[in-house]
Amino acid sequence: MAASLAPGGSNAASHSPRTPSIPDTPAPALSDHLLTPASISSVEVYGATNTRRSLLDHLFRPLVENPGPTTTLGELLNRINRASEKLVRLDIFKQEGYGVFISDARDRPSGASGLHPERTELDVSFRVKEKSRLVLSAGTDFGNAEGSAYTNAVLRNVFGGAESLSVNASTGTRTRSAYNAVFSAPLNGNPDLRVGVEGLQSSTQKPWASHEEQLAGGSLRLVWLARKTGDSHALAYSGVWRQLTGLATGASPTVRADAGDSLKSSITHTFTRDRRDSPTLPQRGYLFRTVSELAGWGPLHGDVSFFKSEAEVAGASSLLSTARFHKSWTPITVGGSLRLGLLYPLAAGFSFGGPTSPSRINDRFQLGGPTDVRGFKLGGLGPHDGSDAVGGDVFAAGSVNMMFPLPRTGPASPLRIQLFANGGRLVALRNEGREKENGGPDSNLALNSSAVLRGMKSAVGELASELPSLAAGVGLVYAHPVARFELNFSLPIIRREGEQVRKGLQVGVGINFL
Amino acid sequence: MSVWPSPAVPRPLQQLFDRVPLLTYDANVLPARSQSATSSRLPTLYVFSTDSDARLGAPSYNPGCLKWQTFLKLARVEFQIVPATNHASPTGALPFLLPARPSPSASASASASPAPAPVSSARLQKYALEHGQHKPAEQTPTLRLDAYQALLDVPIRNAWLQALYLEPRHAALLDRLYVAPASSSRWVQATLRHQLRRAAEAEILKTSSSAGGSASATPILVDESAMYAGARDALDALADLLAESETDWFFGAPSPSLFDASVFAYTHLMRRLLDGGADGEGEDLKIPARLGALVRAAGTGELERHQSRLLEMLWPGESLSGR
Repeated sequence: MAASLAPGGSNAASHSPRTPSIPDTPAPALSDHLLTPASISSVEVYGATNTRRSLLDHLFRPLVENPGPTTTLGELLNRINRASEKLVRLDIFKQEGYGVFISDARDRPSGASGLHPERTELDVSFRVKEKSRLVLSAGTDFGNAEGSAYTNAVLRNVFGGAESLSVNASTGTRTRSAYNAVFSAPLNGNPDLRVGVEGLQSSTQKPWASHEEQLAGGSLRLVWLARKTGDSHALAYSGVWRQLTGLATGASPTVRADAGDSLKSSITHTFTRDRRDSPTLPQRGYLFRTVSELAGWGPLHGDVSFFKSEAEVAGASSLLSTARFHKSWTPITVGGSLRLGLLYPLAAGFSFGGPTSPSRINDRFQLGGPTDVRGFKLGGLGPHDGSDAVGGDVFAAGSVNMMFPLPRTGPASPLRIQLFANGGRLVALRNEGREKENGGPDSNLALNSSAVLRGMKSAVGELASELPSLAAGVGLVYAHPVARFELNFSLPIIRREGEQVRKGLQVGVGINFL
Repeated sequence: MSVWPSPAVPRPLQQLFDRVPLLTYDANVLPARSQSATSSRLPTLYVFSTDSDARLGAPSYNPGCLKWQTFLKLARVEFQIVPATNHASPTGALPFLLPARPSPSASASASASPAPAPVSSARLQKYALEHGQHKPAEQTPTLRLDAYQALLDVPIRNAWLQALYLEPRHAALLDRLYVAPASSSRWVQATLRHQLRRAAEAEILKTSSSAGGSASATPILVDESAMYAGARDALDALADLLAESETDWFFGAPSPSLFDASVFAYTHLMRRLLDGGADGEGEDLKIPARLGALVRAAGTGELERHQSRLLEMLWPGESLSGR
């Protein structure tokens, strides 16, 4: 008996990653066979010359563990399949040349003497080819509203345990320079649970608030991917020295007051559930993401102390009626998304009621821009001091859109025409009760906990008190696999004094659009 | 603000643009931190200071800042001071002044108008003369003035840098004034301390190497005792100059001038910060880094009296030990 399980579909018995290669409704003879007791006699791996034995042990121990008399052939095949999937996901082996071969040990010409006669004994062998250990690349990148050029070096399987070291240097339209190095390794040989260490240094221009921010720091990260559901959790500790410097001549007093150094020491949890069929042009499915950050409180220390949380829901759905008429018709899709965020300043140290300093500009939220609330400039929403977007502590933003196919294009076409309306509200926590005191500088910046709570309540209340700033328009969407491009014509409908709108054409390049 | 860079917007489109937005609400309220930064109607001088000192308008602890703070007060300019760092400055150095915003109409908030252009220290004298209610005595630039100004700029400044930034006994003071306010993180503090010291060294070497003519490529060991001796001579020379004057002020001026402010900036801070007393060093005059003692000993106490006079004139009630 010989079976082959291959990930790439190149071998005979290809299978999808989620289901085992065993047919769903096996023939009666086969299903009887699967219930026979079986055990594994040997596991062999060929070609993993640079891979550590301990890593492979982690993967294959489940195969040979508890070979009780009740273990069936079907169960074993499942285990082999799971181990094979994990091996592939370590991302250190090539797709071509990968193969799993299973043979009956009783067929072996020699050495079959000690085997149990009534049990199926299997010899399993994995054939792998290691990917090259050093990969150098260079290219251009599109982030949200920014283009950049990068060079990247990845050292794979550094210590033979599927560890990777990635060193990246880039420069761009806004990022003057950015260097980072990430070392990451699977925990216990589990490719879905990785631990990483990162060091970074960067210098980014923020023209919407007349300054440049320089960062230097590091983070420790634990990422867990739930294979079955596609959900992922990431937990990270990071310590970053931020330096707000290089102020423009016309920088506002708000930005000048926040210029200088601060250390942020924080723990961040990110949860992502992405059930969309495509991240750049979703036709159906939904995305749910939350980011929660606790900075400076308790043992974290640092110069800033707050709790910051953001949630995002986005979804899309095809209008069924068109799809039902004709298979080749591109369906019209409707989509929508909602983002919420809140930054709650905390007292430093372990106290809950101590003096609390209000948020700094580099911790506050910004809202507006071509990938965000379209029809507004970058950071165009929310409080402005002069021409500087100084950010806010609470925000809500939402969008609705309809995507129409272009005439004479098929469903596979990456082009769409969109109609959209989006809007949002970005509100700052203010120091109530101490406005305009003698006209001089405030006697003390710090707030007490009840003032923070009062300010927060009124800021949240303000979100809903008036209509949000709003813009609507029409545009062309091009979904490239790496990024989505939008060319929109939009008009502002509602704005606030000081908010910076963009009437007419606006180009957006990014991955994550509102 | 035009949407299109060069081609004119077609008329129907322009009419459409003019019609939107359909509704405009009042401006968003600024965050708590910037409420204090924007609430004042006074010009703001950004200096090295502490929150509590700034609120009282107390003298800055940085000689460069104190010089201009003193001069603006001499010119009776109404202003407030705000603690800041060099990062806040358009030139990379403090002080600088942000003029008051054009007085907004009663309804619109102050934040709606663009921030005014900052005035760097090089243009502060002109600003003070234009905006002050009193014209301080002006010195016509002469070689003699330049020579005395050079005493402040080289030997006295170098001794100040050496004593405050490089002298181990003043490490705690340096931390309190310049390092601790920036960040509470030890890692950040250690880096900043290192950067400050290297910058001070470089400043000292810049002037001492040009005087000695030695190659700048090789690191020169600075002779500390010679530096303090140079400062003592310079202070003595200033004391003699003051003794020659028929008035209480330098060069026989009827009222204090910018030069008085420049001298006061050093003599006040030397006496206040580097005079032992506070660190419990007693009266051991042999400790060379005690620049305050040099100020007191200069001439027959002219500089000490000059410093007290100016302090009493501009900050009545302010004593050397703080408040």
